[in-house]
Amino acid sequence: MAAIVRLSSVCRRGVRPLLYQSTLLSRPLVVPHKYQEQPHLLTARIHASQALYAGAGSKAASMHWTAERALSILLLAMGPVAYFSPGPVIDYSLAAALTLHGHWGLGQVLTDYVHGDAKIKAANAGLFLLSTVTFAGLCYFNYNDVGICKAIALLWSK
Amino acid sequence: MALLLRVIARPGVCLARPQYSVIYRHVAPMGTTAKEEMNKFWAKNAKLNRPMSPHLAIYQWSVPMMMSVTFRGTGVGLSGAISAFALLALALPGQYPYYLDLIHSLSVGPFLIGLAKFGLSFPLSFHTFNGVRHLWWDIGKGFRIPEVYRTGYTVIGLSVITSLALCLL
Repeated sequence: MAAIVRLSSVCRRGVRPLLYQSTLLSRPLVVPHKYQEQPHLLTARIHASQALYAGAGSKAASMHWTAERALSILLLAMGPVAYFSPGPVIDYSLAAALTLHGHWGLGQVLTDYVHGDAKIKAANAGLFLLSTVTFAGLCYFNYNDVGICKAIALLWSK
Repeated sequence: MALLLRVIARPGVCLARPQYSVIYRHVAPMGTTAKEEMNKFWAKNAKLNRPMSPHLAIYQWSVPMMMSVTFRGTGVGLSGAISAFALLALALPGQYPYYLDLIHSLSVGPFLIGLAKFGLSFPLSFHTFNGVRHLWWDIGKGFRIPEVYRTGYTVIGLSVITSLALCLL
């Protein structure tokens, strides 16, 4: 009568960091509760587990996840700024933030639906090209034309 | 920062289910990573030409499911629109006001213009509000099913109201 553990209830890291840890993964042993002495110490150990295995994998995926959320929050803040004080600084910042947010978002979509090493590589290369051209185009528009904020204002004025 | 978020999110989670526990003392090292296992799965099934089990066609659609699909759809759509705009900016010879006047000269009428504005502002509003909902989940809040539905309906309501307000601007 082993107790089943819902991994999500004890492991708050989420699935994605696990996918990128390379060699030293381990399967935890699940035991009935009555055979355990100090559950609170175990809880502390589980949450220290990322530090325990820190040498065994890179934190790149975890940092990427955090960066994605930080960029999203930044982009949220840029909205009101663009509305209340439009100008070239916010135009170029929006160009960068929008392109990167889109690049990372489409990257997740590709990760979900594209399988097979060669196809993944090709798709990511194509995405990189698209994002580069998008950023170039937006910067070109900011430099040689009215700029993003003004463009939206003009579009909405009709 | 992820560590900070985990520390903040922790109090409401670990104390939840005292009857379940996991021992990490006795562990068995695994030979492959999850990524390798995933690749093996896809390679084997593609090689054997196995058909995929029906999923979208048979699973009962729910509001959270549709909102998730729409979130992804609006994201891809908005990204595509931005890329298209950037490509046109690079490819087309004239300036933006010229092309805007060109579109205005088509004189489509206020209703269609309003519709077009709604078509632009609804995806943006929905994606933004649902994005906030995702960030809410990311700090560990709102996972209970009633909360998922409540926040979901809030997002839908806010999106419609905001898009209507924006296209009446």
